[in-house]
Amino acid sequence: MKLNQSYPIRIDGLSVAYNHKRVLTNIYLKIEAGLIYGLIGPNGAGKSTLFKCILNQIEPNTGEILLFEGTDKKSLTRIAYVPQKDEVDWQFPAIVEDIVTMGRFPYKKWYQSMNVFDNKLVLESMEQLDIVHLRNKQIGELSGGQQQRVFLARALCQQADILLMDEPFVGVDAKTEEKIIQILKTLALQGKTILVVHHDLDSVQNYFDRVIMVNQRLIAYGDTSVVFTKENISRTYSSQSTLLQKNY
Amino acid sequence: MAEINDHIQQFFMLESGLRALIASILVGGLCGLLGCFLVLRNMSLIGDALSHAILPGIVVAFILFGYSTIAFFGGSVIAGILSAFMITWMQRNIRVKNDAAIGIIFSFMFSLGIIGISWLSHHEGVHLDLKDFLFGNILAVEKADVILTLLMVGLVILMIIVFYRSLFVTSFQANLANTLGINANFIHYLTMLLLSLSVVASLRSVGVILVVSMLITPASAALLISDRLPKVLISSVILGMLSAMTGLLLSIAFDFPPGPSMAVITTFFYLIIMLFAPQRGLITKWKLKRTHEMREVVEDILKLLSKLTRPKNQTEKITLSDLATKSIHPTKKLKQYLRKLRELGLVVDDQDSIQLTNDGIQRAHELIRAHRLWEVFLVEKLGLDKDQIHEEADKFEHNFTEEEIREMDESLGYPERDPHGSPIPRRS
Repeated sequence: MKLNQSYPIRIDGLSVAYNHKRVLTNIYLKIEAGLIYGLIGPNGAGKSTLFKCILNQIEPNTGEILLFEGTDKKSLTRIAYVPQKDEVDWQFPAIVEDIVTMGRFPYKKWYQSMNVFDNKLVLESMEQLDIVHLRNKQIGELSGGQQQRVFLARALCQQADILLMDEPFVGVDAKTEEKIIQILKTLALQGKTILVVHHDLDSVQNYFDRVIMVNQRLIAYGDTSVVFTKENISRTYSSQSTLLQKNY
Repeated sequence: MAEINDHIQQFFMLESGLRALIASILVGGLCGLLGCFLVLRNMSLIGDALSHAILPGIVVAFILFGYSTIAFFGGSVIAGILSAFMITWMQRNIRVKNDAAIGIIFSFMFSLGIIGISWLSHHEGVHLDLKDFLFGNILAVEKADVILTLLMVGLVILMIIVFYRSLFVTSFQANLANTLGINANFIHYLTMLLLSLSVVASLRSVGVILVVSMLITPASAALLISDRLPKVLISSVILGMLSAMTGLLLSIAFDFPPGPSMAVITTFFYLIIMLFAPQRGLITKWKLKRTHEMREVVEDILKLLSKLTRPKNQTEKITLSDLATKSIHPTKKLKQYLRKLRELGLVVDDQDSIQLTNDGIQRAHELIRAHRLWEVFLVEKLGLDKDQIHEEADKFEHNFTEEEIREMDESLGYPERDPHGSPIPRRS
């Protein structure tokens, strides 16, 4: 590893507690560009909280998060976030094209309308995910796989440097899952940074360059082939009480 | 009728009548517009809360400045914003359910207002009519009120244009806001400010208690008929204006109180849309379901006819009684279904004989093919037992296109026979 390397995301001693209940404790991470990271851990391990901290939606109790080695809030627009399916109001009056176009919002002042370049990008993003024929459909009429592709298209359209995805493969057909992974790998080659919350342990080896295993604290972190071992998995998924016992 | 016409004519001869009409149309449009965002942001109840919470603002304004439209307006807006702040603060910092926080603050503020009003009338000897605040008094609308309302309409439209994208994102998904360079907090308080302004502007016409109806009912109806935000906004504005106008006219014609009359009309519009909306209407859905069921029944009869024909000559005629003995449906119903089949051009029948047309033979062929392929699919791919599959296949056979059936045939490796051993007809 080079000295003085610049990291897209640097997490320094992050701790978060809700109502005096600890959710994340003392997390240190340096996320590198051009790699796909899998974020692994049981329910309640703090994966979504970690995302929320990166997105600046939660103030951490201690520690800080640097984006591109700075704390400028404008850097947040260099992140594209693909939400969990149940976070989305699928009844919302918007068609597929409206959602993908949202990716262009950070580049626009209120009086600027979408121009030829924006429209071309929107179309290209939809083409990449095979959803052009769905462009006029209300988002609630789509299947699970199609819905996920719409949000990934929005992320592409945003041309962000960091992609955060919260369980993108839940309720998605095998074809779409493969398609999404292919796109992520292409993005990584282009130097983007990709973080994916993931549950299916069987596919971890194939999907991710690195894994981050958390259960309130950082259990293991590094190259998937090295770190994703049976021992680390069982440490990650063992109940939190046993973890505490070990520490005292 | 003539008498009613007279009523209305007389009313609009007066300048106050005209003012009332203009004011209520403006208020209807204004509430319709802003209401869309309230409903989409799950803030419907906040609209109700803020309308009640402004009462103490009016009392304080009266104590300080006396009877003045501008002072009332200012006092109300301040009280509204203050309540919005308190509600939001409680929701974010105290362990309390969101709707409970709304309830606590608005009933507290409303009560303060009522105590204030009764204190004023006892001790200061002034008479502020509580009823006017509660139910509106459109006939007392003054020129200043109309101008204020007009200003509010202008301001709200301007703000919605300037912050359209931010409003869109935060209403859809507040947690995306940061990454799209939008300050969700600012937009939240902006919405609250616009809401307070609109509520105050609406007070004279519909009153505190019913303003929520003008805010959320047209918007909810608009959401049933449109699937893009701009269309929702426009439909809601039109519905709001129509309801306010119709409500006012009815109230003059029949001497109803105007506020409740408007609220009833807007609910009436909502009901009609709820029933007849092109895609989401209850009746529309029910009709679709019936057509669908009818098709299944009719196609089953077509299959039966084809089976009855086959042992004999394809062109030989079948009688209605042949069919009746084999079918579960009574003869009367069968006649109705046959009529449907005839309309579809699948059979020809006269007095007592029925014959499949070429189209009919073709469709029956497709159905049998689909049925048997489905049976293979259910056994081979889903591992169901042979005796479980017939009913399932009966349902599925109607609902897939020839193309989809062809794909299934391919994925099953073009089977020759179904699990019961019957041959699967090839595509003709």
